[in-house]
Amino acid sequence: MMDSADSLDDLMARCALRDQRAFAELYRRSSGRLLAVAMRIVRRRDGAEDILQESFVNIWNHVTEYSRAKSAPMTWMTAIVRNRALDWARRPKHETSDEDVMDGLIENWEDDTPGPAQRLQQAGEAGQLTDCLRELSGQQRQSIALAYMHGLSHSELADHLGEPLGTIKTWIRRGLEKLRGCLEARNAA
Amino acid sequence: MRITDPRGRSLLAAEYVLGTMTGRTRARFELWLRSDPGLRKEVAAWQGRLEPLSGTAAELKPSDRVWRGIAARISAGSAARESWLGSLAFWRGSSFVSAVAAALMFGYIALTPKDHALTPDNAMVVVMADDQSKPAMTVAWTPQQQGKPRLRIRVIGHKQMEPGTSWELWMLPGENQPPKSLGLITTHDTQYVEVPPEMKAKLDQAAGLAMSVEPERGSPTGLPTGPVLYSGNRLEI
Repeated sequence: MMDSADSLDDLMARCALRDQRAFAELYRRSSGRLLAVAMRIVRRRDGAEDILQESFVNIWNHVTEYSRAKSAPMTWMTAIVRNRALDWARRPKHETSDEDVMDGLIENWEDDTPGPAQRLQQAGEAGQLTDCLRELSGQQRQSIALAYMHGLSHSELADHLGEPLGTIKTWIRRGLEKLRGCLEARNAA
Repeated sequence: MRITDPRGRSLLAAEYVLGTMTGRTRARFELWLRSDPGLRKEVAAWQGRLEPLSGTAAELKPSDRVWRGIAARISAGSAARESWLGSLAFWRGSSFVSAVAAALMFGYIALTPKDHALTPDNAMVVVMADDQSKPAMTVAWTPQQQGKPRLRIRVIGHKQMEPGTSWELWMLPGENQPPKSLGLITTHDTQYVEVPPEMKAKLDQAAGLAMSVEPERGSPTGLPTGPVLYSGNRLEI
């Protein structure tokens, strides 16, 4: 019988044994968050829902290959959804983005405004990531977050942040290296 | 694309996860990933590092069609199920099973109020959904038990039963065989139906179950005559 206390780990294990009820529960618990992930990247409800559907079929078909030792359930599922969403967003006809939407997004990431970074902390999730993001420059943090959450490519970031492509690439590269250094140092401590 | 420098590899993995690696570079990187477990590990590490950012957006509720589509595609017997339902429609129209035989069958079946727990492991379950794919009723039983098998039925939907009608439960044996009545059920939350021993083996192999709306005393033909409210495939848990 399904217990609401079942962890995502348990549900994944049962899905691997072809337990469709466990899969329904996994969907119930994770689809809201995963739809939001897809929606931020493709910015269209129908497209995001198609991606969610394809992703869950994929999750069911490949859950037997899932290994807890390699990644947490939500990380694994998020990667599947993001990959599909990125493929979708990169198809030539979808490349245009809505300027107004972008302006709003970027405002959220201005240095001192309470934005996703603060919500991240409020959610009590991965304080380490929050702390380490704070150690980056505002430009580095903004580029990385926009790329990850909204699926913007280097050239889209260059357009929207009004900086040359080379500058954007440098911000991202340096930001990522700093982030890794910070997270590794905290994990080693 | 071959990079052995660990810093370079980590950076490539990060840009891949971030999504800023695009086009042919991305495609080549994915090919490379397949044959390089170390690189896959690097990618997984970055996925884990950045994943908390995914939790910063407000959750959205997917429309029902999403799950319906998923459920239809993952259910191994989904193609088979449609054909059983097709045959259900076919058999509903035919009337060569006599009403007498049907009446005899009802004699075997009794609704019993006694609680009878199923062993949680090795149970057969049919989750019966309405036409919106919302679970409305579950039927569970333990296969290969001694004596008469007993179905435990749970009605979740709390749908009203129209006056002058009844709910009849059907076993769908599969292989284009006609549905077999398992008797009338009520709208009670939890109820039990005893199945005649000769139907036991078939039940354990059945493709699924369905529930139809019938005249007050059940189908006069021994086959479903009214609308099928709920149906579902058999699952082994």
